Amino acid sequence: MRTVEVLFVIVILLTAFAITTQFAVLPSPSEAFGTNLRGLSQSTLEILDAKGVLSETVFKDISDPAWAELQKALSASLPLNVVYNMSVYDLSENSEGVVTYELVHSISDASLGANSEAVSSLVTSPDVTFTQDPQKVGESTGQNITLYILNCSDANGWWVTGYTGQTLATEFYNFLSPYFTTTVLINTTAQLGSLLDGTFSEGNIQNAVVINTFGEAVPIPSSYAANYSGDLAEYCYVLGQKVNNYNWNWVSIVGYPFYYVTNVNYFSSVDNGWGIYGMEDDNVKQAGLNAFLQGLNDVPYSHNSNGITKAVNVVYFSSEALELFNYYGVYPNDYQTSSRALSKSVLLDTYGLSATELFTRPSSDPNYIPAATYTNSEGGAFTAVGLTRTPDARVAVIGLLMYYHPTIYKSVFGAGSTTRLVTLQLSQQGGA
Amino acid sequence: MAGATIDHMISLTILISALLVAMLMYSNLFATAVAYDVNRQVATKASDIMNTICLSPGNPVNWGETNATVLGFGLQDPDSGGYTLSPYSMMRLSSSSSGSQLVEYPIGSGVYYNNISANFGDAIYTPLGTCIDYDEVSDLLGITGEYGFNFEIKPTLDVSVSKVSGYGHLALKVDVTGSGLPLGGATVRHYLWHVIKTGSSAIVPYYGVNSTDSFGSLLLEYNAIADVNEAYYFISYVSLSGLNGVGYYSQDFLGPYPQFIVPLVSNFDTGKVIIAHSWGVNGYTQTPVPAVDFNATFFVLTSDFQLQSLEIANSSSADTGKLNYGVSGAKSNVTTTLPTSEVGLLFITYKWNNYVGSVVLPWGVGTLGINYSFGNEFSSAGYGFVATEIRQVTIDGISYQVKVSVWKLGS
Repeated sequence: MRTVEVLFVIVILLTAFAITTQFAVLPSPSEAFGTNLRGLSQSTLEILDAKGVLSETVFKDISDPAWAELQKALSASLPLNVVYNMSVYDLSENSEGVVTYELVHSISDASLGANSEAVSSLVTSPDVTFTQDPQKVGESTGQNITLYILNCSDANGWWVTGYTGQTLATEFYNFLSPYFTTTVLINTTAQLGSLLDGTFSEGNIQNAVVINTFGEAVPIPSSYAANYSGDLAEYCYVLGQKVNNYNWNWVSIVGYPFYYVTNVNYFSSVDNGWGIYGMEDDNVKQAGLNAFLQGLNDVPYSHNSNGITKAVNVVYFSSEALELFNYYGVYPNDYQTSSRALSKSVLLDTYGLSATELFTRPSSDPNYIPAATYTNSEGGAFTAVGLTRTPDARVAVIGLLMYYHPTIYKSVFGAGSTTRLVTLQLSQQGGA
Repeated sequence: MAGATIDHMISLTILISALLVAMLMYSNLFATAVAYDVNRQVATKASDIMNTICLSPGNPVNWGETNATVLGFGLQDPDSGGYTLSPYSMMRLSSSSSGSQLVEYPIGSGVYYNNISANFGDAIYTPLGTCIDYDEVSDLLGITGEYGFNFEIKPTLDVSVSKVSGYGHLALKVDVTGSGLPLGGATVRHYLWHVIKTGSSAIVPYYGVNSTDSFGSLLLEYNAIADVNEAYYFISYVSLSGLNGVGYYSQDFLGPYPQFIVPLVSNFDTGKVIIAHSWGVNGYTQTPVPAVDFNATFFVLTSDFQLQSLEIANSSSADTGKLNYGVSGAKSNVTTTLPTSEVGLLFITYKWNNYVGSVVLPWGVGTLGINYSFGNEFSSAGYGFVATEIRQVTIDGISYQVKVSVWKLGS
């Protein structure tokens, strides 16, 4: 009787073991002991295509001897216990955008078995050339628009931490010169004076874009500094008038626009309060921007020191702006910190400007615009990027491209079938 | 009564047996699970280390080309990216910590050079002071005390060159294999520099491009060169459908003497190389000591495996001269400077008393297809499992395989 009971116990033990075994799932032997075939496969594809041989071969006719050489190279490069299958697929896209994969050729040295790893790589035919030509700004409307970048050697920047006006000028030149028929660097404040006076000989002054790379400071020619020494904010008023008269787009790349004026020779013994000499803020500060807006709007000048900015902190690019990142291949971070967002009520309501905005206005401060190009219907525009330092030139670049929206002409020359998918599947023999 | 006792004994025996079997089965199950888990950890660590070695240039990114302190380990070529390794970084790895392969020069100076061996007397001697050893690399990888590792870097294609006798003149056979398979149809770009015993010119160069036959072999004959008592250096670059390999062969005519000249890398930053009389490097005592005339030429290896001679800048002497050892007033070494932006071969020929020879310093390990191994040996005292990873890479355009082995330390 007890023997029968013991037999019951044994049955219970075996049942418990069987149930436990079901729950104790072990990793597969290939995971625990095998070589990482995916890494080997990826590196093999990369090496074979290092000098473009793989790309060249997979677009050849399958009777071409190059396929046999490719198979030899595969066999020679992989360990003897690793078997492979390389498959090449032709990619085609119909009018509805559906991509289909058609097997072109496959080479292998043995059956892969159940456990295998595969990687794939897209290769482009060496007969294909991709080109990308940007439309010039103003071309669509028959305008010849010149890009002027302030690169004044006798000026200092502020709120451009980590940069100088000159290094930023180089960045803007590299980013934007392909989009303009003519790009001119304004190398001294004297040249800026000529530009303001309409006597500068290079480029087309009318309808131009002027980028101030000196942050919150604006270069001032010595003659203008002398003329407006009693109220330097009036120089900003003159700038606004010039923007209106010449139909310029004045670009302030970071911070509070027109907060200081700068000329290292004229203000050689004056600093901005933070140890940067050649810069003056007496009678400027908040009054500079107000004066500029008065000039832009062509209303009589009156000194106004009221601040019209607010720190709205983290702001996100609008969906329209984000779409332009890929289109133009310019990728600033998709959120930024705005410490100098401009008052919507002042710019849009008081001065009647219209805004092409770069960021979604924060719901907590919907009355402040972090960055935008403000257009005056009577002439002139003003791009203000009210972000905190350190400046990112790409934000202002996206702002300008968003405003002018030049078309990018992309073209492909060569064979109709331009892209193929290569998969390399590996399996280990004698283990996994 | 007796029947009940027997019943008890039988049931007890069966019960104990069943318990023992059950305990054994559970024990095996759990032991296997633990072993699998540890193995998987080791395999993951091997994959991490491989990625670090192949896909990170380290910090600073150009540490292989400078004497800078290494703050992060990685062998990727910062100028190329992908699975391309720096030809210089490996030259800064100290392959030996035991001192057995170290060379002290000048003898007694306390300045040691690390020896990355190649065949036929060719070697890369690099300044030990700027090399990093296994312990430092282990620290930089963050695995000290936890995991042991080694890695081996060897060319994917095996290009062997051998001399074939019976032709009455020099004949060399190039055999190309990969994973043991003969590779027919491979393109072989070959160079031979014949070292001239007399006259003003140091070498006569030969160059050609041929293909291997269906057995992966290529026979090259040089009618103007005798197969004995001559010195020459042969090097061949092989290409097949994206794979590239290199093989070389050299012969010196030095009678009973060892090689006369040894080049040593003195400074990575500046490309400074010492061309030294080998008696001063190896402590040879054989007399008379050769008064060696040498001629040094730097050949840049281009991306399509052509060797183009480049004038080398010399910091303290000409690229030709005479070296002696133990003779008052005579120079036992000279220095020259190689271009740090180019990879190639420093080819040095030397003569004395009708004896001639040559030595090559590869500037960038790929140019001669040198095998390289680094790290510790697996010790059975630790956990008895070694995970391996293999990847394909290129160095100086030559196809290599990197094999990393990792094991867990402790039990």
